[in-house]
Amino acid sequence: MPIIPAELVQANPSLNREEIQARLLAGQTLLNDSADHLLQVVAVLESYGIVLDAYSKNLIYQAEHQFLNPLALFKYLDGDLSPAKIWRHLNHDRINFEYAEYCMKAMLWHGTGGMDAYFDGEAFAANCERVIAAKRRRDPLLALLHPLAPAFLPELIRTAATTHALGQFWRVMSDLFLDLAAAERDGRVRSIPAVVDFIKDGLVAAAANPIQYGVSIGTEQFWILPPEANLTFLVDVAVPYVEAVFLRGTPFLGTVSFNAQAQQISPDQAQFTYGALYADPLPTMGAGIPPSLLMQDMYRHLPEALHTWYLQRSRGEGDVRVKICMSFQKAMFCVTNAAINGTMPHPLDSQDPVQRSANAAYAQAWATRLAAGRTDCLAL
Amino acid sequence: MLLSSLLLVPFLGTLALLLWPSSPSPQRLRLIAIAILSVQLLLSLVALGRFDVHQSGMQLVELQPWVPGIGLDYSLGIDGLSLPLVLINAALSLVAAVITRDIDKRPRIYFAMLLLISGAVNGAFLAQNLLLFFLFYELELIPLWLLISVWGGTNRTYAATKFLIFTAISGMLILGAFLGLALLTGSVDFSLTPVLSERLSMGGQLLLLGALLIGFGIKIPLVPLHNWLPDAHTQASTPVSVLLAGVLLKLGTYGLLRFGLGLFPEAWAKLAPALAIWAAISVLYGSLAAIAQTDMKRMVAYSSVGHMGYVLLAAAANTPVSLLGAVFQMVSHGLISALLFLLVGIVYRKTGTRDLEVLRGLLNPEKGLPFTGSLMIVGVMASAGLPGMAGFISEFLVFRGSITEFPVATLLSMVGSGLTAVYFLLLVNRAFFGRLAITPPTGDALVDTRLDVRLAPVAPRETIPAIALVAAVVVLGLLPSSLSRLSEVATTSMATASQLSSGLASGLASALSAGGVG
Repeated sequence: MPIIPAELVQANPSLNREEIQARLLAGQTLLNDSADHLLQVVAVLESYGIVLDAYSKNLIYQAEHQFLNPLALFKYLDGDLSPAKIWRHLNHDRINFEYAEYCMKAMLWHGTGGMDAYFDGEAFAANCERVIAAKRRRDPLLALLHPLAPAFLPELIRTAATTHALGQFWRVMSDLFLDLAAAERDGRVRSIPAVVDFIKDGLVAAAANPIQYGVSIGTEQFWILPPEANLTFLVDVAVPYVEAVFLRGTPFLGTVSFNAQAQQISPDQAQFTYGALYADPLPTMGAGIPPSLLMQDMYRHLPEALHTWYLQRSRGEGDVRVKICMSFQKAMFCVTNAAINGTMPHPLDSQDPVQRSANAAYAQAWATRLAAGRTDCLAL
Repeated sequence: MLLSSLLLVPFLGTLALLLWPSSPSPQRLRLIAIAILSVQLLLSLVALGRFDVHQSGMQLVELQPWVPGIGLDYSLGIDGLSLPLVLINAALSLVAAVITRDIDKRPRIYFAMLLLISGAVNGAFLAQNLLLFFLFYELELIPLWLLISVWGGTNRTYAATKFLIFTAISGMLILGAFLGLALLTGSVDFSLTPVLSERLSMGGQLLLLGALLIGFGIKIPLVPLHNWLPDAHTQASTPVSVLLAGVLLKLGTYGLLRFGLGLFPEAWAKLAPALAIWAAISVLYGSLAAIAQTDMKRMVAYSSVGHMGYVLLAAAANTPVSLLGAVFQMVSHGLISALLFLLVGIVYRKTGTRDLEVLRGLLNPEKGLPFTGSLMIVGVMASAGLPGMAGFISEFLVFRGSITEFPVATLLSMVGSGLTAVYFLLLVNRAFFGRLAITPPTGDALVDTRLDVRLAPVAPRETIPAIALVAAVVVLGLLPSSLSRLSEVATTSMATASQLSSGLASGLASALSAGGVG
């Protein structure tokens, strides 16, 4: 048996279900509080905020200006068709908007929350009919396409609605993460618990923001997600987003065989745990793996302090993007932590036994799901 | 004088390193050795430039009587068989010196031995006198023994002693055969000419050829004489493995072609069917044994055993195409096995292990050794004989040249070629695909997938020699005429000459009987 130098391999301790539940009920953070963690989480969220700003603008642009365009060649250009912009795009000097679309599709496919329920309703179907009828009068291609594949255009409309909703969600999150970085610089946020509280407050403040989406075809205005659907930020978009992207995810095309070889595909097909909190950061920057796109985007906007911190560790520049992925996972645990805290049924300091047991059941449900995640990133 | 300089430069270099005043740092010694070996490579290229490809005989001949009483002449020459081997020796010796880093003990002697081996191998390839060949053949033995036994792995003494015993027996058998030639022919002329053996009875020829076959068979090595090779490779350091596989094994195949086939064509023709079967057994055994290995280096070593079997098959068939294939196989095996050993060496240096049950996922793009892994995949493809690379040309020529003579043995060898893909894909799949890890699987998938691995990065300069070898493998695969131009005339005349002398008697008899005279 070969002797492997200890410094080459490191196994971090994981948190088990009981520990996670205890921390949630005690109001402690899942991520250990340390100066290194604070630097990583705040700086990574700052770069994420910058990237989300671009994603958000592009998603809203796509939903409003590329609506029902089956051949949207220039959808990533935000309407700027100047040769310089096209050249930068082709030269890959750009944000990878494909990742934003990927998250949108995960939300669409997993379909949880009020928006999905609205998509299945008659009001939405009636809206679709009106929109398609208006669009067919102007677009011969769609006029031909719709009778041939009647389910196709409604699906495109659902996609556009999800795109717009995700754009609105990320608008809020981008501002929140950039505010967090500013707060840390001002000294208002000095610890991981403060980070979690900051995010929780931001989520709670935006919780009731309405989610609406309308398009104009010619001179006519149509609602896709009308105000009367009563869709709101937290319940109908944020929670489904966490469910789809953080928890369930999809096994990335490039990593299916990787996951199978590493025995990461659960024999239980119902165990759909491929989201950000479960993802193995190691294959980051492997071919065809969407998070690689996000890590590359964040790498372009990485704050100098964190970049320097990474360079001092392990391979230096060589594995920065894997390190970003690892820090990103820590940050996402903080966001999840904030979301759980914000949606806790009753105050944690309540003395009412009924309320306490309701809180315990809520925390246990989360702890059970999170225990299978990459909780090994929380300790160090 | 050009050929002598190919000996003088490394030998004087050895002396210079040993006698260098003061104590230079290991880095300086390495640079000196690299400079000397670069001069040697340049001189080899000059020899290439002066070489006339249209001539089949020896060129740039140098002859100086040395000890006439025992028939030892200082006689050098080069032809299409030895020139590629001289070139590959110069190139791989330089590679071996370049990839020697972090030498921890006695660097002065290490580099001196490296130069000594390089010079001795040149001497053996260039010698036109049997005794002179033997001198150089033995001269390379002790430095190599030292290189394994001083700078080797933990079990180095065992491996080095085994190597010494096997190779010493090989040397004795070869010397015995050469002396037996003198004894049986009653001549003390040891110059390289097949005329000598024509005075021998078939029994005498078979006896001497048998001794040569076993002697060179140990060096090549052929199953079941291969036992020393996997141990020597496993314990030797990477540069020594590169030299051993790339150059020193070729002394065996070169000796077989030059002296076995060249001196005893009639006996060779008699033994050829048995040799072809021997080759097939060697190929199949080497390949099957490679499949069973879990040490990457042992796997590559066994693949060498298999691949050297092709040379014996080609030599047994003794057609112009198969002999050209033999030369190709010697060169391509030299380049490819050197490449594979070099890459295994990089993996070993970074991870501290070569165990295929421990290494996984090294192709990981940021945390693993992606470029080394990519080069490894190229090397493995070349070794398995994928078109576009050197391995394909050599295997194709060997099989094409041999299948008309020995269809069964050739087909069996082709199976061995397929098995190459099997074991090297096993290697690549185990060590390079999947999730990165350098620990044995714990059985708990959750634990295994949560390991963070911190391998040191591979500096670009560490892969430069491997890139050069990959380039050579691809160039040779795409432009095979670059090598066949050099060797074709020589191998064709070799095949024709040996077939003529072996076929003369029987051919005459059949011609006579066909004409109704007999």
